[in-house]
Amino acid sequence: MQDAVLAMLAKEPTHGYDLHARLRRSLGPLGEAMNRGQIYVTLARLEKAGLVVCERADGLPERPERKVYALTPAGQQRVAAWLAEVGWPKPDLAEFHLKLTAAAAARLADPVELVAAQRRELLRRLGEAQRAALAEPAGSGAGLLLEGVVLRLQADLRWLDACERAWSKIDDEVEGE
Amino acid sequence: MNVSSAVVRAFGLAKTHGQGQSRVHAVDEVDLEVPQGQTLAVMGPSGCGKSTLLHLLGGLERPTGGEVWVAGRRIDTLSERALARLRRQSVGFIFQAFHLVEELSAADNVELPALLAGRSRRQARRRASLLLERVGLADRARHLPSQLSGGQRQRIAIARALANEPLVVLADEPTGNLDTSATLDVLRIFEDLRAAGQTLVVVTHDERVAATADRLIAMRDGMFVDDTRLAGSHPRGLGGLIGLEG
Amino acid sequence: MGRLVLIARLVLADLRRHPAQAAMLVVAVTAATATFTLGLSLSGASQALYEQTRAATAGPDMVALTPGSDPAVTSALTSLADAPEVVAHHGPYRIVYADLTARGRTSNVVVHGFAETPGAVNRPLLTSGHWVRSGGTVLERGFATALGVGVGDRVTIAGRSYPVVGIAVTAATSIYPGAAQIGPYGGGSDYSGLAWMTRSDARTLASSHELPVTMALDLKLRDPAATESFHDAHRDSAVRINLHSWQFTAQQDLVILRNSRPILVVGSWLLSFLAITGVAALAAGRAAARTRRAGLLKAVGATPGLIGTVLLTEYLALALAGDALGLVIARLTAPALAGPTTGRIGDAAGPSAATVAAATALAVAVAVLSTLRPTLRALRTATVTALTATAHRPRHRPRLTALSALLPTPLLLGLRLTARGPGRAVLQACSTATTVIALVALLTLYAQPERGYGLNGSSVLPNLRGEHDRQLMLAVTVLLIALAIVNTITFTWTTAMEARANMAIARTLGATPGQIAAGLSLAQLLPSLPGAVIGVPLGSGLLALFAAGNAAETPSAWLLGAALTTVLATAALTALPARLAARQPVAQALSAETA
Repeated sequence: MQDAVLAMLAKEPTHGYDLHARLRRSLGPLGEAMNRGQIYVTLARLEKAGLVVCERADGLPERPERKVYALTPAGQQRVAAWLAEVGWPKPDLAEFHLKLTAAAAARLADPVELVAAQRRELLRRLGEAQRAALAEPAGSGAGLLLEGVVLRLQADLRWLDACERAWSKIDDEVEGE
Repeated sequence: MNVSSAVVRAFGLAKTHGQGQSRVHAVDEVDLEVPQGQTLAVMGPSGCGKSTLLHLLGGLERPTGGEVWVAGRRIDTLSERALARLRRQSVGFIFQAFHLVEELSAADNVELPALLAGRSRRQARRRASLLLERVGLADRARHLPSQLSGGQRQRIAIARALANEPLVVLADEPTGNLDTSATLDVLRIFEDLRAAGQTLVVVTHDERVAATADRLIAMRDGMFVDDTRLAGSHPRGLGGLIGLEG
Repeated sequence: MGRLVLIARLVLADLRRHPAQAAMLVVAVTAATATFTLGLSLSGASQALYEQTRAATAGPDMVALTPGSDPAVTSALTSLADAPEVVAHHGPYRIVYADLTARGRTSNVVVHGFAETPGAVNRPLLTSGHWVRSGGTVLERGFATALGVGVGDRVTIAGRSYPVVGIAVTAATSIYPGAAQIGPYGGGSDYSGLAWMTRSDARTLASSHELPVTMALDLKLRDPAATESFHDAHRDSAVRINLHSWQFTAQQDLVILRNSRPILVVGSWLLSFLAITGVAALAAGRAAARTRRAGLLKAVGATPGLIGTVLLTEYLALALAGDALGLVIARLTAPALAGPTTGRIGDAAGPSAATVAAATALAVAVAVLSTLRPTLRALRTATVTALTATAHRPRHRPRLTALSALLPTPLLLGLRLTARGPGRAVLQACSTATTVIALVALLTLYAQPERGYGLNGSSVLPNLRGEHDRQLMLAVTVLLIALAIVNTITFTWTTAMEARANMAIARTLGATPGQIAAGLSLAQLLPSLPGAVIGVPLGSGLLALFAAGNAAETPSAWLLGAALTTVLATAALTALPARLAARQPVAQALSAETA
């Protein structure tokens, strides 16, 4: 979040209101949950870290909307470093995997049931994302982002299918003993 | 769920192939009610019997057990002739392989059901051009199926399925042969149908198609193993999908 | 060697998979070659029968005939017997022109006055009873058969009753009804039978009723082939003498068969044509599978030559089998067809080498023509294209769609869904036209007025030649119709198989089996209409090529009826396969299409 806000200031100094609007625009329906407060909190942190400076604009004093933020040289360096970075969010599958193993080992719950519940949840999310994507006009940036979400969820669902097959087999073998 | 509002109902529906040892239960005594306006997705691995289920619901195959009711009428006992009439009035089919008549133009294909139902040629033509407009292919009316892409062909097939304003549309792997963008075109049309209150049963193993339905049934070995309502739940807002919430 | 094994194996596998098609080709080729062979070998067979009769009856090489019975005539004839070329003779004997009545039917008859002990030349062969004796008569076998008379019956000749004491055959005269070599007083002869009496009975018969008489002398020449030169040498006799060589008599036997040859040969062409259309339709129906198989073979390294060999070997083998069968049938039926009267004895020789070659060429032509197109296509299509070949290449047919727009909706739909490319329609039209041609020919033959063989052309004795023609034409027509029926059923069924996917689609859209069946029938019926319409003038035109100039017109109501019947029969015939095809399960057809 911080990096994204910094990068948006790279073009030109701007005030918080504008930043919020631009973020909302590129996130489309996914950005609906984001409120302006979050932006200001972020900007305050960045200022404290010396990555942005706040230039009070002329006009009415003490109104946060009127503060114009600009990158400091340190901030510029940070943006450059961020762009060069190839880090990628790691899919957090280990936790669910361990959940299944632990549930099965301690006979706390049926792993197949857990998988089914998880699948229902992911399908709901997929449905939401897919519908939102369908509502986007063709070529919108938010549509592209939603497509990414949909594909990730699809991949997760397929992994859940694999989990279900594997755990059903283990179940069968246990029953068969 | 009000029974009278169910467009499609099945009780103890079963279909077996073969005999003795080699007997296969394609559909194994399932019960189903699809209320008016619901979009239902049936998911399952290949060979789980979901296509057979769809054929049974549309009267293309006869069950070996149980009952099928469509539009308040029991159909598993109907004659071929009566079944044909039922299909032309109440059921629209969409297939994975499109199944368009290759020798006929897009518009001619869409006209077929209306003509079969005895509409005048002018009525059929008007309805066809309306539907082609609706699926975004008005400019392709004169094309032969072989001159169209897979996605366009499937959209023609959808238009054809809608020709007689069927009570229920039955779709068998409608996106099975399509790429992502064509799949999205089909999903968009399905969303429009859902919004318009069209009852729709889709058999699929495409998660996108399944996830956008109101209700999802998972099928294994001829039986229903899960039945979930998907739509209407909006617990966290879309922002939750990318970790932007609060 | 390995290649031969491979070819044989592929051919056998294909035959096993499609036995009906193989049977159809064999039957069609058999019918065509049998008819063709018969047409070509009839005259040869007739000659063979004549020669065997001639050998068995010591047939004369030359018969000298002079009207009248006065001594001058007799001595002129006797002097001929002294000619140096003559090695033996019989006669002179009387030929009396009379009428004969048996079982209420009267015919012209020529009575030959013979010795009670036959001489060296012209010894009629008794097939039952015994030879002439005083007061008894012997009848020629063909004549007796036509009259329905046997030994022990009585016949009335010129008002007097005679017992029939024997039945015999002779090579001295042409077969019934051509027994009168020359007419009374040297004039034209009418249809006549032949009877023998003793010399004195014949003389009495002639004198008591003052019947016209011709004197005849049978001659045996040193060189039986030299009849021509003998004829030339004795042309300028003082008395007019008619000389009939044995070759001329043998030729006269063929008069009765004059129409048989065109009926059979043209019939065999039509049969071949139907065979080609039927087998071509079947082959075209399997073209896609064939092309795929050719592609498969090519993919594993077979040369186009090998593929072509396999495809052609199969059809050639079947055609040759049909050819052999046809030749055998022709050989067995030739004596009966070549000797429509019982006036000849013996067995017909087998078809000549040239005839066998011609029939085989016909069979090969049928095989090659009916499979040429699919074979060439299988050879030419690129391997990959062949492997992915679909059942048919869809073609937009705006004209058909426009035509169908004129029809009521159910028919329109049926036609749009089931009508395939124009090829099959043309074949169906040809098939129908051929049937109508045969029917027109048959009806025309029945419409011809003809002189019966009874006295003054009375039909108390039927015209054998006309009967023979009609029977042959009927047989050929029956064969043609049978093939046309098989063709129509084949066309409908292959159409149904090719349109299976479309019919299944239509069923999912709510078409009833009835609508589908009607569409299939109609797809066959529509091309039948022009076929039937064209068949009538074609049939009349074909007949005009062979018929006598004074042929009678066939009533147009008959022709119209024939065309109409053909179309209605086609409709009925297509109904059954169409109904069967329309009742196939939908889901199965759909999944077959996807697979």
